[in-house]
Amino acid sequence: MSVDGLRTELVELLPRLRRFARMLARNVHDADDLVQTAIERALAHAGQLRTGAPVAGWMFGILRNAWIDEQRVRGRRTALLAPAESGENVADPSGGEQSDSLAVQDAVARLPEEQRLAVALVLVEGLSYKEAAHIMVVPIGTLTSRLARAREALQAMLGDPNGA
Amino acid sequence: MTFSDETLNAYADGELNAATRAAVEAAMASDPQLAQRIAEYRALRARLQQAFSPVLAEPVPERLLASVRGASARQRLSNVIELQGRPRGRWSWPQWGAMAASLVIGALLGPLLLRSPTGNAPVDTRGGQMLAHGMLERALSAQLASTQPAAAAVQVGVSFRARSGAYCRTFVMHDESQLAGLACRERSAWRVETLARTDSGPTGVGLSPAGSALPAAVAGTLDELIAGEPLDAAAEAAARARGWDR
Repeated sequence: MSVDGLRTELVELLPRLRRFARMLARNVHDADDLVQTAIERALAHAGQLRTGAPVAGWMFGILRNAWIDEQRVRGRRTALLAPAESGENVADPSGGEQSDSLAVQDAVARLPEEQRLAVALVLVEGLSYKEAAHIMVVPIGTLTSRLARAREALQAMLGDPNGA
Repeated sequence: MTFSDETLNAYADGELNAATRAAVEAAMASDPQLAQRIAEYRALRARLQQAFSPVLAEPVPERLLASVRGASARQRLSNVIELQGRPRGRWSWPQWGAMAASLVIGALLGPLLLRSPTGNAPVDTRGGQMLAHGMLERALSAQLASTQPAAAAVQVGVSFRARSGAYCRTFVMHDESQLAGLACRERSAWRVETLARTDSGPTGVGLSPAGSALPAAVAGTLDELIAGEPLDAAAEAAARARGWDR
């Protein structure tokens, strides 16, 4: 694909890339850094993308890889420091839409990384199992079982939003 | 009949084939608990989307838009990179005109135009070729696009490998000469392939940041010569370390 064409598609994809990155990164700033890294890598490799190929899936893959690279570096640096920043967003017991969102975000942040990726790609970004498995470089069966375990864990953490 | 969690997840996500889907639906009809589980799976998906989607409505930060345009802080990709994607050999006549004009300037008028009063001409003609000279030569040999100061008199733009294998670099001179051009490393000198006035008309590159636009003729030469991608910061530094030898 031409770099020009890719730029046009990227502008349209930016909101979704930011959403995906926020499901992976610890905070908004890190998420946007991740998006920026992915954009730079994508532009440097625009030639690898066939014309007409879906840009969204390709970009999610690049972003995912950038995130994994980042995790490796960060893991070495902070292995002995405090655990992840999850738990900051404690749900407001008075209820309401906003507090439910915070509770959901917090629960997702507690998922193991591979389950979090599966949730982000399929349940939030709406990719097919096949597309998500391709991006995560795993067989579809593995993707499916990660999703099933993720849903189970999220339901255990969140319960029924209607108070059941 | 019982179904695995995986199968029920796949059902809720619309991923089952027709036969299995029908089997799940038949079971749901007679098993309210099963139907309830499926409903919970779908409700969770809706909650997730609600929790993470507000960002879609937020304005995208300018720095991200800038990196899409290729004007990131590092400026690894300079203003002309989008030319790569343009189909070759489909130039408009005005572009050909600009190209021809710049060649004329280079070949005939160059020595006259460029002879500055102080004798510091950026280009020297030797053996019918234009070679970078003085501060232009020094900038081409020493400056890295990734680290050059914004105030440098010569701004190096894109560095790349030509199809011949030679290293080439675009440049813009921020002095009264208002020249921009493209030079390739040949026999330990920088042979200037194209030279044009930066005020010689629009570049046709809509995304160029103001002030660093390359004239169409220079951009066209880049488009003609480049093989593959421009050098990134690391490759540029490596090429300099080798003295720009092939």
